[in-house]
Amino acid sequence: MDIFIQSAAHISIQNPLCEDWFENPIPHTEGYNRSIEPDYKPFINPIAARRMGKLIKRAIATSVSAIQSADLEQVDAIITGTGLGCIENTEKFLSAMVNEGEQFLQPTFFMQSTHNTISSQIALHQKCNGYNCTYSHRGTSFESGLSDALQQMLLGRINNALVGGHDEMTPDYYNMLGKIGYWKQGEISEQTLKRSNTKGSFAGETSVALVVGTTHTQHSLCKLRDVDLLYKPSSESLKQAVERMLQQANLHVSDINAVMLGTSGDCDFDETYKRFAQTNFPNTPTLWYKHLFGESFTAAAFSVYAAATCLSKKHVPQHLVYNTPKPLEQPHNILIYNHFQNINHSLILLSQC
Amino acid sequence: MADKLVVTGMGIISGLGVGKNDTLQALLAEKSSVGTITHLQTTHTDIPVAEVRMTDDEMKSALDIPQNQLVTRTPLMAMVAAKEAIQQAQLQKQKPKRIAFINGTTVGGMEKSELFYRDFLDNEQHKEFIAAHDCGAGTDAVADYFGIFDVTTTISTACSSAINALIIGANLIKTGKVDAAVVGGTECLSKFHLNGFNTLMILDREPCKPFSKNHVGLNLGEGAAYLVLETASAAQERGVQALCELNGYANFCDAFHQTATSPNGQGPFLAMQGALADSNLQPSDIDYISCHGTGTGNNDTTEGIAITRVFGEHIPDFSSTKAFTGHTTSAAGSVEAVISILALQNNFVPANLNFTEKMDEVDIVPVTKTKHKEIQHVMNNSFGFGGNDSSCIFSKIK
Repeated sequence: MDIFIQSAAHISIQNPLCEDWFENPIPHTEGYNRSIEPDYKPFINPIAARRMGKLIKRAIATSVSAIQSADLEQVDAIITGTGLGCIENTEKFLSAMVNEGEQFLQPTFFMQSTHNTISSQIALHQKCNGYNCTYSHRGTSFESGLSDALQQMLLGRINNALVGGHDEMTPDYYNMLGKIGYWKQGEISEQTLKRSNTKGSFAGETSVALVVGTTHTQHSLCKLRDVDLLYKPSSESLKQAVERMLQQANLHVSDINAVMLGTSGDCDFDETYKRFAQTNFPNTPTLWYKHLFGESFTAAAFSVYAAATCLSKKHVPQHLVYNTPKPLEQPHNILIYNHFQNINHSLILLSQC
Repeated sequence: MADKLVVTGMGIISGLGVGKNDTLQALLAEKSSVGTITHLQTTHTDIPVAEVRMTDDEMKSALDIPQNQLVTRTPLMAMVAAKEAIQQAQLQKQKPKRIAFINGTTVGGMEKSELFYRDFLDNEQHKEFIAAHDCGAGTDAVADYFGIFDVTTTISTACSSAINALIIGANLIKTGKVDAAVVGGTECLSKFHLNGFNTLMILDREPCKPFSKNHVGLNLGEGAAYLVLETASAAQERGVQALCELNGYANFCDAFHQTATSPNGQGPFLAMQGALADSNLQPSDIDYISCHGTGTGNNDTTEGIAITRVFGEHIPDFSSTKAFTGHTTSAAGSVEAVISILALQNNFVPANLNFTEKMDEVDIVPVTKTKHKEIQHVMNNSFGFGGNDSSCIFSKIK
């Protein structure tokens, strides 16, 4: 069975809800960056929007946009990956409790604090009674959701799904993560990330919505061939997973035109990406994306979005290229490899339609 | 015909005790674990809860984890429960090729974050707990303890998390991505969600009375429970006994309100109907429904209405065991899955404790005293905030 990525939409630190980043990416120099907010009026009633947090607005706008681009009225399933859920509301309830005690708390922020608020608000907005699920598994939250959609389509339980990756980065959470080595000090540039010998990266925010489905349409961006999640794999078991994935897709190493990596500027974690490429794809160009979109728990959603865009346009822009042992051909097959702190790893295989 | 999915191990910790045997004995003795708060540091000491009696230190000792190792309460409970399930299924002795750990939780490391939140913001103290805050951190801590998992992920769909974990694990086995899955959920009490539920005014100051006319709310509980899933042929190959079949399951969304269920219980209706269809069973095949039955007016009425919509005139025996365990939120789906399977294996319907009189809104009465009878198929319901409604059916091996 062929499965397709039908459409995609993003709100991020690049120009939102468009593909400006493909030709003219915005360079970022700050360690902490919030998403560029679009006009939400086309997607959400302004009165309703006033009661929504940033993350929910972004999730609804990207979801509606992706569903419209896929020419669908409704989806069979709504699946969200989010590392932190509605952390802004969680923080509001938590700080009220910590600072003012347990007596006079208000329910609103608690109600909107659970991780599944995102998927459920999308379902409410779409009036969708279908399968609804939320993954919150650190750096592989989005890939877990994509895998869920894929398994269900393979089993014939659904024909299409909206799969999102959504995370906001509040100032407090940015500072907290800074204390445990998540962020670089000083000015960020493509070069500082590439030549980094320090820990950490720079922060962005993620809202990516994809529609995946079993029917090929004129809008389909690419094929979604496979998704693999791996927990602390040895280099050998990672190699076996790559071989298994290629074999099942009837592809050879040489058929992979580019490998998209989650390289972020963190000297330790990037070493793993280098080793992965050297071991498994020594002669294949490598791509990156976090220098455009920043780091967040669901940043991997951008790897799928960016690779799908390249396959759809049959072209890889130079700014996505990390390293080229040989000239980059027209991309037919892109393998995506991400890992979260060498703990949770994922492999995703995309092909041209 | 596709290979059947079977359960080959299960483990549980809750207010009722540690393990299947404690749980079974408490159920048969109709002994509730709802009582006064002892572990949780809160000013709401008048709110009854069902706490796991073991302290973190006691769990660490039982698990041979050094006392100074940083592990929060939610993963500790998960380790205790998963250990029982993994041992029963002999996953370590006869390791299947690829094993997934699919874990449901919502609170994550919150019980420590709420203690150290000021330090997180203002200074460098306790910063080691920052990385333990998110839901996935606990899942991976459990995976590290056992060292047998090839895939891990975390489901966070509030009070239906554990059943959804079961569904995802089952799908991964069916597509051949993994050969076995340990699925379930874990949740410790936190001040955060105790206060959250309190602001929603859905906590009963008395022991909860699910499906009763004068129900006023729920009692929170804490616990963890896990099942080991694999195909019948894989279990046979490994020489492991199947406890029951996971016959079918369904996940639907109520899409009505963030915290309330629609008046006609559409999400619960679709979930139960979907689980029946997925199992190729008729409503009349169900011998017992282990209900979500939290004790809130909204849940019990809408679940009751949904049950009448699915089962019509012939309502199967049903009960909520929340008055035994409290509402263990993200763990509820698997805590009650273990209870459902115990009911199936031992041929009894657990009592719906504290029932007073029938609700006005819907003409149904739960089983109020332990009822011994032959049980072939059990339906297990779990519904959550955000309208995340799921249902699954366990059946005896024929």
